[in-house]
Amino acid sequence: MSLLQDAVSFTGLFPEAVLCGTVMAAVCSAFGVFVVLKRIVFISIALSEAATCGLALALVFHFSALAGSALVTAAVVFLLTLPDKRQRMPKDVVLGTVFLLASSASVLLVAQSGFGLEEIKAMLYGDLIVSSPHDRWVLLLTGLPSLALLLLFLRPLLYTFLDREASFVMGLRCWLWEGLFFFLLGLVVSGASKSGGALLVFCLLVVVPATALLLARRLWAVIGLSVALGVLTTWAGLLAAYRADLPANPTIIGMACLLLMGVALLRARHDRARHER
Amino acid sequence: MNERPVIQCRGVTVAYGRDVVLNRIDLTVPRGALLPFVGPNGAGKTTLLKACLGLIPHQGGEIICDFGGRPPAYVPQQKQLDPIYPVSVRDLVCMGLYPENGCWRRLDRGQHERVEGVIARFGLEPHQHKHFGELSGGLRQKTLLARAVVTQAGVLVLDEPTAGLDAASEADMLLLIRDLHEAGGKTVLWVHHRMDQCAALARQVCRVDKRGVRLADVSEVAE
Repeated sequence: MSLLQDAVSFTGLFPEAVLCGTVMAAVCSAFGVFVVLKRIVFISIALSEAATCGLALALVFHFSALAGSALVTAAVVFLLTLPDKRQRMPKDVVLGTVFLLASSASVLLVAQSGFGLEEIKAMLYGDLIVSSPHDRWVLLLTGLPSLALLLLFLRPLLYTFLDREASFVMGLRCWLWEGLFFFLLGLVVSGASKSGGALLVFCLLVVVPATALLLARRLWAVIGLSVALGVLTTWAGLLAAYRADLPANPTIIGMACLLLMGVALLRARHDRARHER
Repeated sequence: MNERPVIQCRGVTVAYGRDVVLNRIDLTVPRGALLPFVGPNGAGKTTLLKACLGLIPHQGGEIICDFGGRPPAYVPQQKQLDPIYPVSVRDLVCMGLYPENGCWRRLDRGQHERVEGVIARFGLEPHQHKHFGELSGGLRQKTLLARAVVTQAGVLVLDEPTAGLDAASEADMLLLIRDLHEAGGKTVLWVHHRMDQCAALARQVCRVDKRGVRLADVSEVAE
C-alpha cells in the first residue's frame, strides 16, 4: 500500500489518535520554547511525572484522571513558585526529589492496586492510539485556551524571562507572569499526560523546541516552527508505527530525537564552515 | 522644575539572611547627578542601587524615590542576559518601549523613529538585525544602554556597565555615559571600580564601604 493510502486508512481507523496527537504536539511544542529558553527542562520532566502520579491516584481511587493529574501538578507548581528563600534548598534538589517521589509513587500506587504491568507501562509511556473522545475534549479544553493565553501575553512573558530585573523596573509584575506561565504549563502537562504519557510530553516540551531553536532566529519563527515540527513529527511517528506495527509514542519520541540530532549535526557543520570562511 | 532628590535613604538596612550588607545608611542623590558608586567588592554598591529600585527588599528605614513620573531605566550587566534567546538588537531596544505600549500595542511612527535614532546614536545600525547572543561584550552592553535610553527615563541606573569589556569598549561606554548626562540631562547612577576613570567623568562619587555610605568629592576619595 502507498504511504498516502496508509495515512488515509490510519486516520479513518484512529481519528482520535490523530486529533489528540495534533493538539498535544502543537500546544506542548509551543510551551516548550519557553521551557528550553528559560532552562527549566528539569521542571518540565518533574511536572510530567507529577501528572503521571496524579493519574495513578485517579486510577486507584476511581476519580477523574484530569482532576488527579491537575491536583498533583498544581501542588508541584505551587512549590516551584515559592520564593527561593522560603525553600531553604537549591531548586534542583527540590525538583529532583519531586521527580523521584512522583515516579516511584506512580509505580507503587498502581502495583498496590492490583492492576498489572500493562497499566504501569500505559501510564508511563502513554498510548496515543487508544485516545478516546473524552481525552480529545480534555486536551482541547486545557490546551487551546492555554496556548491562546501564551500567545496573547507573549511580550510580557518574554521580557520577564529574558531580563527579570529590567522588566521589574519597567513596571512588569514579574511574579504574576511567571506564575501564569507555570500555571498554564501545569495545565497543559496535566491535560496531555493521559494520552501522551510522561515521556512523550517531555519530548514535545524539550526535544522539538530545541530543534526549532537551532533552525530559526526570531521568537515568532521559533514558536511557529516548533509547532509545525511537533505536529509533523507526531503524524510521521503515528504513520510509521502503524506501518511497522510499533508502539506509537516511543516511535514519535525516537523520530523527534533523531531529527534533533540530525539538525544539530547540520548546524554544527554549517557553523564550522561559516567560521572557516 | 522638579528639584527634589531622586533618591533619599534614611536609616536603610539591607541584609541577605543574617548577613547585614548595609546598616542604617543615609543617602541623598540629587537630581541631575552623574554619580558613580565606588567601593571595595562586597561593600554593597549594587545592593544599595537594587534596593533603591525595589529589586531587593530593605529590612529597615525608608527609601523615598522620585523618578519624575516615569520608571527609571535599569541596565544590568550584559552577562545577565542569556544569549540563547532568539532576540535581535532591535528587539531588545524595542523592549524599552513596554511601559508605553504594554502587552499588545505596536510601535507607532514616532516610536519607530525614536528606536532608529537611538540605534544610530549608539552605532548599532550594522548590527541591529543580529542575534544578541552573537555580539561582542561591548556591543551587548551598548544594546542594553540603548534599551535604557529609548525609554526616555530621566534616571538611568547601571550595574557595572564596563564589566568584562576590553579597554577600548570600556572607554567608549564611559563616553556614552557622560554624553547621556551632559547632552541628555539625565541622572546617571552607576557602579564602578576604577577611581581614575571616575575622576575623569564625575565631580562626586558615592563611596560605599564598611564605614557606611557617603557622597564625596572625587579628589578627596582619590587621595
